[in-house]
Amino acid sequence: MRLRIAPGELALALFFALLGALWIVAALRMPLWSGFVPDSGFMPLWYGAILVALAGAILVFNKDRKTEDPVGKPLLVVALVAATVLGLQLAGFAPSIFLMLLALFVAVERLPLARSIAVAAGTSGVLHLVFKTWLGVPLPVGPLGI
Amino acid sequence: MELLAQLGQGFAAALTPAHLLMCLLGVVLGQVIGVLPGIGPSAAIALLLPLTYGASPTGAIIMFAGLYYGAQYGGTLTSVLINVPGESTSVMTTLDGYQMALQGRGGVALGIAAIGSFIAGVLGTIGLMLLAPPLAKVALAFGPPEYCMLVLLGLTALAAVGGSVLKGLATGVAGLLLGTIGIDPQIGAPRFHFEQSWLLDGVDFIILAVALFGVGEVLASCRMASANPILNVGRVLPNRAEWRQAWAAILRGSGIGFLIGVLPGAGATIASFVGYIAEKKVAKDPSRFGKGAIEGVAAPESANNAASAGAMVPMFALGVPGSNTTAVMLAALIMFGLRPGPDMFTTNATLVWAVIASMFIGNLILLLMNLPLAGLFARLLQIRYSWIYPPILAICVTGALSRANNVEDAWLMLGFGVLGWLMKRYDWSAAPMILGLVLGPIFENSLRQSLTLSHGSSAIFVSRPIAAVLLALAVLAVAAPLLFNKKSPA
Repeated sequence: MRLRIAPGELALALFFALLGALWIVAALRMPLWSGFVPDSGFMPLWYGAILVALAGAILVFNKDRKTEDPVGKPLLVVALVAATVLGLQLAGFAPSIFLMLLALFVAVERLPLARSIAVAAGTSGVLHLVFKTWLGVPLPVGPLGI
Repeated sequence: MELLAQLGQGFAAALTPAHLLMCLLGVVLGQVIGVLPGIGPSAAIALLLPLTYGASPTGAIIMFAGLYYGAQYGGTLTSVLINVPGESTSVMTTLDGYQMALQGRGGVALGIAAIGSFIAGVLGTIGLMLLAPPLAKVALAFGPPEYCMLVLLGLTALAAVGGSVLKGLATGVAGLLLGTIGIDPQIGAPRFHFEQSWLLDGVDFIILAVALFGVGEVLASCRMASANPILNVGRVLPNRAEWRQAWAAILRGSGIGFLIGVLPGAGATIASFVGYIAEKKVAKDPSRFGKGAIEGVAAPESANNAASAGAMVPMFALGVPGSNTTAVMLAALIMFGLRPGPDMFTTNATLVWAVIASMFIGNLILLLMNLPLAGLFARLLQIRYSWIYPPILAICVTGALSRANNVEDAWLMLGFGVLGWLMKRYDWSAAPMILGLVLGPIFENSLRQSLTLSHGSSAIFVSRPIAAVLLALAVLAVAAPLLFNKKSPA
């Protein structure tokens, strides 16, 4: 059976419906009304219910079925950023960012190696200098002390 | 006449070399801070505060004020060029600014933002000069019911920001829902934090904005990175037709921004949202918005700059901060042994008028600095996207980390980034989600406070004149499109 709605669109609508349902369930465990004023669960319950209703309406009314573009490259980029965030506490801020940039330039974009190293080192160096040295943000530090 | 004499004295004080230097330093630092996501002007002023212990109070406040409105200029650059809002106040600028850049009109987008910000800054400063005491009194009349109705009016715009009404409403309500994460402000109990202590502070606005706009845009565009056409920079100054479209938006944005800036707690972010939405509402063809309408850049940019001047009204006239940044500035005034409050204009007239005069000078410096720089920065668009998007991702990760120094924020940003990508892919507008996240906590808080005040009677919203007018406007905002527009919902 051919779906009337694109799979990604369906996933989004279901995600928002699930989010709304989660909020409804959690809100019902909270006090809804206290004296003459709404309590912690009141507004979240309404928001959840409205979101479920809207997501349902989108599933019913949406008639667009767009052509699906390939998702390989964006997913590869997501994986590299995830690896970088994982590596932040192991390798430190500057090395993780440097490696992410280098991987994106060389492995994903097939850009020249020497220029990629220079841009990756320059960018991670400037970010470290501005945020860590100048603004005093305590960014994660690795074995190299950066 | 007395006003002009005081302003003259203010200029005499502001034009001394030391104060000019502080003004220049403030606006340049503000511009840089504005570009960096995750670091806002309030954090920057707090960081600089210890460095000004030995400085004159007038010089320090001139620098802080310059940093505040300079940041509003700086946030525009990244919004237009790479779709990453450097400041929360520039989120709305991304909607049309980036589209203008993609159409080879990045220079004009930055140019009109600089001109609009300058005009709004000057008008806002005139407003501060003339209207500070009376407006401060009106701002004090804004209690929870008025705030609640003001936010309700803002919420009616959720569907208006995006393309599809249903999708706009859904993402807006999702934003409202995300706004309930953290500590319940009324009773102090945690909710929706899923036993994660880092979620007790809630979802930060800038994390969501950077993720949905920055990471989402990168993921959506990286597939075509090597094939992306090299974009024309274009001219910086708007032509006659563009100017005709933008001038009214600048004036409206300035007025809206200044008035919202005056309200304690509302701030430049809400001002930019309302400025954009109002412009879309009055436009003859609202469908141009989100596709590179110059008014979509002019209005929010004017509004956020005018709001920064407006936020000084309650600070100087009442000793009440109008925004996070003026709260830190207020702390600075107290640190210098000054007593902010109604008698500030008489007991510290030299300082107040020097700061007001410096705001005229600072806005002029920013205009002179930004017009030539706009063209220069816009040239970034000529670099191949393969070289651009990896550093954008690095800036996004750094911005997320620097918000509260925890890695969980970076994970949250990545998660929302993937959501932003999917939303972009299927034309779900991201802006209503941000609007919902900003307005949700204010709405819930003010609603509960209002009902506490009225012992549960909702008549409080119609018995107070300002609240009743705002409620009527909200009803009109919903009813008018339904009555006069036969658009399909999805």
